[in-house]
Amino acid sequence: MKFLDKIRDYIRISRVAPISRRYFIMNAFDGAMTSLGIVVGAYVAGDPEPFFIISAGLGASLAMGLSGFVGAYVTEEAERTRELESLERSMLKNLEESVIGRASHFAPIWAGIVDGLSPALAAVVCLVPFFLSFLFSITLAIQLSVVIALVVLFLLGGFLGKISSRNMLLHGIKLLCVGLVLTLILLVFKSI
Amino acid sequence: MIKRLVLDVLKPHNPGIVELSKELSELDGVEGVNIVTYEIDQKVENVKIILGGNSINFEEVKKKLENLGAVIHSVDEVAAGTRIVEEVRTPQDRSARL
Repeated sequence: MKFLDKIRDYIRISRVAPISRRYFIMNAFDGAMTSLGIVVGAYVAGDPEPFFIISAGLGASLAMGLSGFVGAYVTEEAERTRELESLERSMLKNLEESVIGRASHFAPIWAGIVDGLSPALAAVVCLVPFFLSFLFSITLAIQLSVVIALVVLFLLGGFLGKISSRNMLLHGIKLLCVGLVLTLILLVFKSI
Repeated sequence: MIKRLVLDVLKPHNPGIVELSKELSELDGVEGVNIVTYEIDQKVENVKIILGGNSINFEEVKKKLENLGAVIHSVDEVAAGTRIVEEVRTPQDRSARL
């Protein structure tokens, strides 16, 4: 509990919550869209093997996770160091040993974890039907995966609506439409 | 035994005075805390902290404030002993003003 309280304090003091919320939505959206692209793309290519889709999906998740973590960590770390130094100049004091110093070291790690985990998790969730493809046909797995990806997009939009205290349904439909557009474009390729 | 301590403190905006007061009130020997902000700059603010209690440990207060990123500018009033002695006006104060 003490450890969790400490994390909560650091999140509050470093004010990393709003930025990690942005990272979460932006990257989970990326993850779901990438997964949707891989699944529908494999369907368009014809005769997809579950193993290939899982491998491509996991590879993309790992790449998004790693790049998300490293990207967010290095950029946040640079920003936080600059902010801390500026505050230290105003205070005429070294703040490294204070809760502010510790919180500003914690913020990049937290942002990195959120930025890395959100796309990877969203992508893996969309691939779940392929892990269970021994239970049903590949066509059904593709259909289920597309539905899951669209539901994830809808929920992300709803979450956006919730944090901006606006219409959750409308925001959900907006992101859902983006997923539908991607699916339609890829399906058009199949019909050509 | 310190019973009252008045401090002039420079602190960053975050953690705020609500959190600061909670942290200070949890110290052993501290029974009450009052914090007043009297100057706000772009990145820092000056606050007056009044601590009341039965046995305030100044070093603990200083350590807690430093841990929260604040700095004590000055110790403006201390009341110690078994009874709190209030500041009184004396003829010297009047003559000093003249």
